[in-house]
Amino acid sequence: MNTKARLVQQSALYVLITVFVGLTLAPIVFTLISSFKNNAQILGGIWTLPVPAQIGNYAEAFAAIWRYTLNTVLYAAVGGTLVVALSAVAGYTFAKKEFLGKELLFMMMLAIMMIPGVMTLIPSYVLYANLGLVNTPWVIIISAAAGGQIFGTFLCRSFMAGISNELFDAAKIDGAGEFVVFTRMVLPLSVPVLMTLMIMQSVGIYNDYIWPLLTIKSNSIQMIGVGLTQFTNQFGISNMGVEFAAYIISAIPLVLLFSFGMKYYIQGVTQGALKI
Amino acid sequence: MRAIKSILLVLLLLCLWIPPIYASVPIWTMEQGLTIKAMSISEDGEQVAVGTQNATAILLQQDGTQQFEFAAKNVVTGVALLNDGQMLVSSDDRHLYKLDAKGEEIWSRDFRKMIKNLSATPDGKRVIITLHNESVIRLLDEQGEVLQEIPVGIAVKTAALSPNGQWLAAGAANQYAYMFGPSGEQLFQIPLDGDIQHVAVGDNGTLVVGSSNNKAVIYSSEGDSLGELVTKDKVTSVHITNDGAFVAVADYSGNYYVADEGGSLLWSTKEVGAGQQIRFSADGTRLFAGSDQGAVFQYEVGAVLAQGKQAAMTQKMLQIGAVVVSIVLIALLFLWLWRKKPHILQRLWRSKLAYAMLLPSFTLLIIFLYIPAFSGLIHSLYDWNPGARSEFIGLDNFRRMLNDPYVTKGVGNLLILIVTGLIKALIPPLIVAELIYHLRSKRSQYVFRTFFVISMVIPSVGMLLVWQDMYDPNIGLVNQVLRMIGLGSLSHAWLGDPNTALWAIIMMGFPFVGILQLLVLYSGLIAIPDEVIEAARIDGAKSFRIIRTIHLPLLAGQFKLLIVLGLIGIIQDFGSILIVTGGGPADSTYVPALQMYFAATKFNDLGYASALGVSMFAIIMIITVINMKFIKTNTD
Repeated sequence: MNTKARLVQQSALYVLITVFVGLTLAPIVFTLISSFKNNAQILGGIWTLPVPAQIGNYAEAFAAIWRYTLNTVLYAAVGGTLVVALSAVAGYTFAKKEFLGKELLFMMMLAIMMIPGVMTLIPSYVLYANLGLVNTPWVIIISAAAGGQIFGTFLCRSFMAGISNELFDAAKIDGAGEFVVFTRMVLPLSVPVLMTLMIMQSVGIYNDYIWPLLTIKSNSIQMIGVGLTQFTNQFGISNMGVEFAAYIISAIPLVLLFSFGMKYYIQGVTQGALKI
Repeated sequence: MRAIKSILLVLLLLCLWIPPIYASVPIWTMEQGLTIKAMSISEDGEQVAVGTQNATAILLQQDGTQQFEFAAKNVVTGVALLNDGQMLVSSDDRHLYKLDAKGEEIWSRDFRKMIKNLSATPDGKRVIITLHNESVIRLLDEQGEVLQEIPVGIAVKTAALSPNGQWLAAGAANQYAYMFGPSGEQLFQIPLDGDIQHVAVGDNGTLVVGSSNNKAVIYSSEGDSLGELVTKDKVTSVHITNDGAFVAVADYSGNYYVADEGGSLLWSTKEVGAGQQIRFSADGTRLFAGSDQGAVFQYEVGAVLAQGKQAAMTQKMLQIGAVVVSIVLIALLFLWLWRKKPHILQRLWRSKLAYAMLLPSFTLLIIFLYIPAFSGLIHSLYDWNPGARSEFIGLDNFRRMLNDPYVTKGVGNLLILIVTGLIKALIPPLIVAELIYHLRSKRSQYVFRTFFVISMVIPSVGMLLVWQDMYDPNIGLVNQVLRMIGLGSLSHAWLGDPNTALWAIIMMGFPFVGILQLLVLYSGLIAIPDEVIEAARIDGAKSFRIIRTIHLPLLAGQFKLLIVLGLIGIIQDFGSILIVTGGGPADSTYVPALQMYFAATKFNDLGYASALGVSMFAIIMIITVINMKFIKTNTD
């Protein structure tokens, strides 16, 4: 292939990908532009620039949804941390310990992945209601921890199995106990996989919709997904700019998370998906 | 294997054998079998007055013997038994009658419009009536003279006095419930999300409102919501004990419920026909109900509550029993091991740390994942009422599913969603992955990959709502673009038209470059060894040929993974439909998972919801097994 033909081919590729990127990101750009407009400006033209910019939209949207956003960030942080803690311990046990019934117990974890969420949705709701957890933050945190640790244990187990045993043996000869080995060696070595897990779980909890819709009734502890739908029903067509501003505000925690954790997220998706 | 099969077969037969149980024998049934339109219980609970569609008011003893029958000239819409044995009767013949203890007319008054509601204090000193399509409540004295007209402002559908006459509650055509004080001053008004069918108010001002939206909502005398009882059908009648401690509800499917003032279900039963009337006796010990087939039922509330409590107790005992039995079994197992194979115990003891480390994980796993899974399996065979009596109904839930039009429609929609969903999940991500892969600059590859991941920063619910806005018929992006390119005639209420709603949902997310799919396929591509491709290049193969003969076969594993994940995801997903269309317009965007959600949340039909969940589990299981078989045959 000569250079000219190659140049033409590469340019064609760039154009095509740019079209795809453009179409994929169009709704986000549309949302961002419209969030600075009032209804008249939105009706006036979709891609016109918002002049003058309606900064007030953001103040109004923030007043309405800051609570939901804050709640969700807190649930995601606590839930994600619990998942990481449980998965690290269980993953390490399955990767490096020998004990009777190891295969059986591991199969028990494996088997629950076959059960789809739809089947357990309603019985879970009844169980949490019986335990008096419905309409408390725990209904979100516990269910995130119980469900997320399964995937997490798999991820941690395969990662930790790759850590060389000789390291541990050396440390143990030097008199290090199990606890020291785990906290001083295993955890630091596993930071990448734990970050991946933390970010994937946080994003998962942040996007949760059906479970909080079913289990949380008080607005003061509601999550962002349900909060956005309520907010939209309330404002609806009457003030679309505020509505769009709310979507942008709700994206801020995810933007922050992705800005430093994108690499880990991509690793997690590709590794995790391939191993299941 | 054969043993398992035969056990399953026996279980299946057992399930088919159990006939559905419909509870009790009515104390009295009208010969003509017409609707019981009104009901009133004497203070002592020994007598029941009923008003019928057959234009009669009938006084019954508590055991069902008929005392007298009074004939009005049209449907009897209200009866009220008074302390002295006298009785008030209102009718669509526009008259209010007062009868003596023998059923003879003392006086009657003509109100010149059909009387739709009648309620009176037991001493007969305060009486209220409402007339057809009128927006006032009339307060009458003992002689039926109008003392006061209380304005509501909109047509009153139902009204009730508390037994002490201190509170007056009403439900109007605008779906608001109103509460008035002793002198007719309005205390508060509350909006409901359904037509108000019936109201009742206790001596302490506790208000219960039955709505067509399958709900009975309980309010305090200040108008604060105390709780609600979700029913399986439209509420037809509600009542509350004088002290406000218990609430009774009847629904259109013939279910009768008793709940506490917080709305927690204590007991329920199902009778033949639609429930029409439900009343407590004054002391709250007896419960009477009337159906649309002219039957009057009586329950002893004490016994009824004990029954509900007993069912809950039995369940608790069973649970405790199960725990005790498993502990005993484990203890026995250890004992046996200790006697016969002590070395196993030694091994267990030696790895105690490992077990301790797994304990938190497995506690959560068993309580919050395994128990709901089994509970769903088991309760799919029940008419499941947590906290009250659940009835074993065999495979009825599954049979019902086959005849549920929403499920049939949903399965059809689901098939369309699966076919289009798989195309969406494979083709666009593959194209984009190939495009990125063929870029020569590694840096550009990274940049573009990042751009696609950026599309995730808006929470998924927010993205769905944005798409919903884009489909808006007036200001939506889609119609605006159509008008811009001169195809304005095609513009449309995309989500509002049953013919286009499903396709509008399918087209959400265009151009469908899923992040998971893109990353999996892209990492599959870069994992292909360079030598293979170089060799093909040297043989003169062009890019398209390389894609067809090398990339696609080597990506087979990734495709299979994406197909299975896609299928499982599509069958389970109903959140996006719930947000964007709620299944509508009509039933055009229903899927089985959505019907399951509605069965549980709107109709409180938890057994049926579980059966739908179990069916979807079975289908997902079959797909997974088939897929695993496929992978095996391919790699062998």
